[in-house]
Amino acid sequence: MDERFTLTGPRTPLPPPPVKRPWHEGKPVAAMVTLAVIVLGCLGCELFIPKDPAYMDLFRPSEAPGPAFWFGSDPMGRDIFSMIWYGGRVSLLIGFLSAGISTALAALFGTVSGLAPRRLDELLMRLTEIFLSIPSLLLIVLLQAVLGKAGVVSLSVVIGVTGWTGMAKVVRAEVRRLRESEYVLAARCMGAGFFHVLRRHLAPNFFSSIMFMAVMSIRSAIAAESTLSFMGLGLPLEVVSWGSMLSLAEKALLSGAWWIILIPGAFLVVTLLCVTSIGSWLRGEGNDQGSNL
Amino acid sequence: MRRKNPVLYYGGKLLSFLLSVFFLSLAVFYASRLAPGDPLVSYYGERAEKMTVQERAQAEERLGLHQPIHVQYARWLQNALAGDFGISYKYKTDALSVIAARLPNTLLLGGTGFVLIFTGALALGAVCAWNEGNRLDRFLCRAGTAISCIPEFWLSLALILVFAVRLRWLPSGGAYSLGGGGPADRAAHLLLPLTVTVAGHLWYYAYMIRNRLLEEIRSDYVLLAKAKGLSRRKVLFRHCLRGAMPAYLSLMAISVPHILGGTYIVETVFSYPGIGALSYESARYQDYNLLMLLCVLTGGAVILCSILAQIVSERIDPRMRSGEPAEVTDHG
Repeated sequence: MDERFTLTGPRTPLPPPPVKRPWHEGKPVAAMVTLAVIVLGCLGCELFIPKDPAYMDLFRPSEAPGPAFWFGSDPMGRDIFSMIWYGGRVSLLIGFLSAGISTALAALFGTVSGLAPRRLDELLMRLTEIFLSIPSLLLIVLLQAVLGKAGVVSLSVVIGVTGWTGMAKVVRAEVRRLRESEYVLAARCMGAGFFHVLRRHLAPNFFSSIMFMAVMSIRSAIAAESTLSFMGLGLPLEVVSWGSMLSLAEKALLSGAWWIILIPGAFLVVTLLCVTSIGSWLRGEGNDQGSNL
Repeated sequence: MRRKNPVLYYGGKLLSFLLSVFFLSLAVFYASRLAPGDPLVSYYGERAEKMTVQERAQAEERLGLHQPIHVQYARWLQNALAGDFGISYKYKTDALSVIAARLPNTLLLGGTGFVLIFTGALALGAVCAWNEGNRLDRFLCRAGTAISCIPEFWLSLALILVFAVRLRWLPSGGAYSLGGGGPADRAAHLLLPLTVTVAGHLWYYAYMIRNRLLEEIRSDYVLLAKAKGLSRRKVLFRHCLRGAMPAYLSLMAISVPHILGGTYIVETVFSYPGIGALSYESARYQDYNLLMLLCVLTGGAVILCSILAQIVSERIDPRMRSGEPAEVTDHG
C-alpha cells in the first residue's frame, strides 16, 4: 500500500463466528417423539396387543388393571390396553381426514371470496357468518342426520365441513393482499384459469399462514370425534375409537371404575398436547424485535 | 371521511340482521325436514311405531306435516311473526314456555362464566405481557395451552369422578337438589360446570390479549411515553391496554354466543337443565318447532352480537371506520 495514507479509527469488526446450535434447539422434541410413538404404536398394533380388541369377556366386566388386563377391562369385558392402540387408528384417521377436508374447503372458499368482486365477496362472507351462527353441535347433528348412519368417513366429512370457516377467513385476507400483485395479473393475462392461479400462485403463498391452523384443525377434529362419540352422536360402540371407548364413561362413573375414564382420556389428551405444541412451533413464536417497555 | 346518515347506517345494519336471521331459519327448516327421522315418535312416543297408515296420515295432518316443505315454512313464518312458535312435540306445550323455563339456568351458568372469562383473560394476559419471556410468563403459557387442550367433556368426567364420586364434596349433576334449595345449594351445583366452562375458554382469550399487548409494546408511541418519563405500569395499563381493547371487545362480543354454546356439552354431561341440553335433545328427536325456535334464538344472538361488535369497534376506534370489518385474529 502507498505509504502516504495511514488507516485510523476502529476497524470494522469481524462478524461473530457462527454459533453451532444443537439441532434440537427450539424444536418440540418431546412432543414429536411422543406423537411418533403413539402413531407408530397405533399403526402397528397387531404386533404387540395381547388380546383381540373386539373380544368381549362377559365374565370379567369392569375389572381393575392387573396382570390379566393391563389397563383394566370395560363394562363389556373388552381389554382396554388393546382397544387404546386399535382405537387410536380410527381417532387419528378421522383427525387427519377431516383436517384435510376443512383445509381444502377453506382454501377453495377463501380464494373464491378473495378473488370475487366486492358484492359477491360480501355475500359469501355473510353466508360464512350465518354458517358460523348455527351452533356447531346442532349443525353436526343435522348433517349427521342427513348423511345417515355414522361411519368413519361420514363422521370425518361432518367434522371437516363444520370446521373450515376460521381458516377460510385467513385465506381470504391473504388472497385479497396477493391478488393485486403483478405475477397474478400476468398469469391471468396469459389466460390462466382459476385453479391454475390457485395452485401455482396463491396456494404457495398462503400455505405457510394456514399451516398452523391446519395442524390445529387436526387437534380439534380429534377432540370433536371423541366428544361426539361420547355423546352418542358419533361412532357406535362397536367401532372402537378413543371417543367411543369414553361413551361408556357414564356407567363407569356409577361404579367408580376410574380406569375406563382416565386411561383412554389420558392418551387422548397427550396426543392433543403433542399436536398443539408441534402446531405452535410451526407458527414460529419467535419475536425478534425487542420490547420497548 | 364523510359521516354517514345515521338512519341509513343503522337501517342497513338492521336489514342485514333481519336477512341473516331469515336465511338462517330457512336453512335450518329445510335441513331439519330433509333429515331422516320420525317427528311422530317424539310426539306420540312408542305408540307411533304401531300406528296404521291411516292413523299416521291423520296424525301428520293434525301436526301439519303432510304439506310440502315450502308451504310448511310459510306457515311457520307467518305464525312466528305473530309470536306463535308452535308447540314442542315432546313436551306438548308452547315451545316458547319450554325454553323460558330453562333459559335462566343457562344464563346463570353462561353469564357467570362469561364475566369470569372476560376479567380473568384480561388479568392473565396483562400479567403475561408484564412478565414477558421470564419464568412466570413461560409457565403460564405452557399451563394455559395444556389446559385448553383438554376436551371439555373429559375434564367434566374427571372432575365428577374426583369431586363427586370419590371425595363426595360436590353434587355430580343437576342445577339444584330435589325440592329446590338455597343459594348455597345452587352454587354447589354450579361450581363444577363453571370450572369446566372457564377452563375451556380462558386461555384462548388470555393468549390473544397477551399477544395483542406484546404487539402494542413494540410500537413507537411506547418509546415516546417512556421518554416522557411515564412509569412502566402507566404505559402498559394506560396506553397499551387501551390500544388492545377494541380488538378484544369485538372478539368478546362475538364470543358471547360461543361461550353460551360451549355450555352445550357441559350441560349435557352434568345433566344441567339448560338450553344446551334442550337443543341437543330437540335435534336428536326431531322436535321441529322447538329446534327452530332454539336455532333462531341462538343464531340471532350470534348475528346480533357480531353486528354490535362491528358498531362498537367503529365507535371506539376510528381506524375501523374505513369499511373493512374488524379484523379479529383467530388462532384455533
